[in-house]
Amino acid sequence: RVIIRQEPEAASKYIAEYVVDRIKSFAPRPGQPFVLGLPTGSSPVLVYRHLVRKHKAGEISFKNVVTFNMDEYVGLPPSHPSSYHSFMWEHLFSHVDISPSNVNLLNGMAEDLEEECERYEAKIREYGGIELFLGGIGPDGHIAFNEPGSSLQSRTRVKTLAYDTVLANKRFFGDDVSQVPNMALTVGVQTVMDAREVVIIIIGAHKALALQKCIEEGTNHMWTLSSLQLHPHPLIVVDEDATLELKVKTVKYFKSIETVAKSCGMGQKMPK
Amino acid sequence: MPAQVLPSESYAKNGVVKLTNCRVVRSDRLVEEDIWMSSQTGKILNGQREFFDSRTEPDETVDLGGRIVCPGFIETQLNGAFGFDFSVVPENLSDYSKGLAHVNNLLAKTGVTSYLPTVTSQPARVYQTVLPFLGPSGALRSPSIGAESLGAHCEGPFISPKRNGIHFLSNILDPASGISSLESCYGTDNLQASTTPIKVITLAPELPNAVPVIEELSARGIIPSIGHTDATYEEALAGINAGAKTVTHLFNAMRPLHHRNPGVFGLLGTAPSALAHSIDLGSDTPSAHHDPPAHETYTKPYFGIITDGIHVHPSVATLAYSFHPDGMIIVTDAMPFQTYPDGLYPAPYGSHIRKSGNVLTLEESSRPAGRLAGSSSSLIECVENFWNWVGPEVSLARVLATVTSTPAKMLGCYGAKGCLEPGADADVVVLKGGLERSGRKTLRVAEVWKFGARVHKGDV
Repeated sequence: RVIIRQEPEAASKYIAEYVVDRIKSFAPRPGQPFVLGLPTGSSPVLVYRHLVRKHKAGEISFKNVVTFNMDEYVGLPPSHPSSYHSFMWEHLFSHVDISPSNVNLLNGMAEDLEEECERYEAKIREYGGIELFLGGIGPDGHIAFNEPGSSLQSRTRVKTLAYDTVLANKRFFGDDVSQVPNMALTVGVQTVMDAREVVIIIIGAHKALALQKCIEEGTNHMWTLSSLQLHPHPLIVVDEDATLELKVKTVKYFKSIETVAKSCGMGQKMPK
Repeated sequence: MPAQVLPSESYAKNGVVKLTNCRVVRSDRLVEEDIWMSSQTGKILNGQREFFDSRTEPDETVDLGGRIVCPGFIETQLNGAFGFDFSVVPENLSDYSKGLAHVNNLLAKTGVTSYLPTVTSQPARVYQTVLPFLGPSGALRSPSIGAESLGAHCEGPFISPKRNGIHFLSNILDPASGISSLESCYGTDNLQASTTPIKVITLAPELPNAVPVIEELSARGIIPSIGHTDATYEEALAGINAGAKTVTHLFNAMRPLHHRNPGVFGLLGTAPSALAHSIDLGSDTPSAHHDPPAHETYTKPYFGIITDGIHVHPSVATLAYSFHPDGMIIVTDAMPFQTYPDGLYPAPYGSHIRKSGNVLTLEESSRPAGRLAGSSSSLIECVENFWNWVGPEVSLARVLATVTSTPAKMLGCYGAKGCLEPGADADVVVLKGGLERSGRKTLRVAEVWKFGARVHKGDV
């Protein structure tokens, strides 16, 4: 499923509504929480803004939602303004009613990083796996910090960041490359693929090539998101700019799917 | 009577309170975020750290419905309130403590969580009797005390007899013997550097020996303030250079602005060294060649200003603000009559003060009547006034700085007071802004928290 919207705003709103819908129909309870995987980065900011708005409007509670974040820098304290802890606090957690004990982020300051990664995978298993993994991608098609060349069966582990990723992130570190951590802890491609549903947001012309590689070409570890082709319930939501490299035929096909589905009274619901 | 600390549902577990759905005053703007604070330590918490590191769930989450969260107000010039006058010694001294406790209790409910109780020009025995009651009272960190004294403000008696306002001439003194003149007036014990109950002393810098006195007070950690003064610009500047940090109710009880002698107001203009340089341009001996340019170190003084709409014309208040926005401190200079009906009230020495609306004037047989006798406005009213006087380019957050961060910086307690950063005292005023049909913006105190406990909840 690929959903195309004219503007980033509309694409983000679509995802926020979708996530809210899924949580509600799941009807999470204290013993049976909705387990949600979450990304950081510029693409999801608008999604979070919509989620917060919906929370404030009383449409959604995060009381019984458990979250697992995709990644965190190694060696950056959680209180650092550029840490993914800070990002999540600023954009989502400080604005909603989520319980601090239900929030999971990798600890990039852990003494034994490998043990930390194993613990994380084990905790995801304990919750019975992730219900919905929300993600974004990098211009090189990476999901989480699974840079080009990552194993498509990878699990949570320590990763060295690709040079492009360091460059792309230096804006969060006073434009100083030397301040950007060069390692991160990240969930693996397989960790994401194990989720019962994967929802990806792709915004902007600079991501157009990545989208094209991931959906029009073969499964390839150089474009790690392409592994989504093997997932039973993927959903990609994009803005028009992100479709620039796609074939007209591809774009038209996905648009027609949505139109036809709507005319048959079927939304983009997850089959039971 | 201790202030009533309103019950919260449960303080039992960790005492953490989260204020949510609110707009928080952050430097020059209002930011939508939550405030976390502890009723156990009485301090603002770092919400992010509590959330991730301690996995803290607040005991109490208070939904403020979009109201404004502001640091507690700081009033640097309050002569009395609710019928109690800090400068009047009652027959029975225990009545003074009771009166003070009464003021602290009620004052906190108006949003003023800390203040300088102010004593006008009085005979020595008055200072020596009341000052021990008026020193800093925050050490206990007890919300039940209500408003906290940050130390006394002695407004006089070392002031100009020409600019005495309603201070009684017979009480006014010269610091003829320097600091020992002050010691014999306020009491030697009350001027000891580490234990002084005094935070600010208003004096006139042109008086004999005033400059060395200012230097000595500064050295002892007491803030000298220029006021009730006939000083020229140059005399006022000498006071600043000696260590005076602030100006007491700018424009009132001082030489008015003249374009050839700007007086105290001139201190808000360009750095004096820059002016000296331009004056020197034509002279034969270009001076100041080897001296470091003093304007690099010159800081304009802070200044109190009474924005009750009576003491200073709105256009003049905004004029002063535009010259030095980071220096302006709104004060009430309020007398104890705020809540009284109009009428004639007895004042010391056989005179009377007439209250007519918010206007107080002194009526005396020996002197032409009609001198302004302090205000009867509350600080929130003065803030509301000023908010209505400035243009839309001055944000509400900037207006609120004049009663929060700016006085805290002047008093040297910024960080603990005057801000809502983690580690600061959890003194919080919740405000509700509104708009009247006339177009006037209104500001009301909805809730007040002192050291992390709610001490007032209004019906706005």
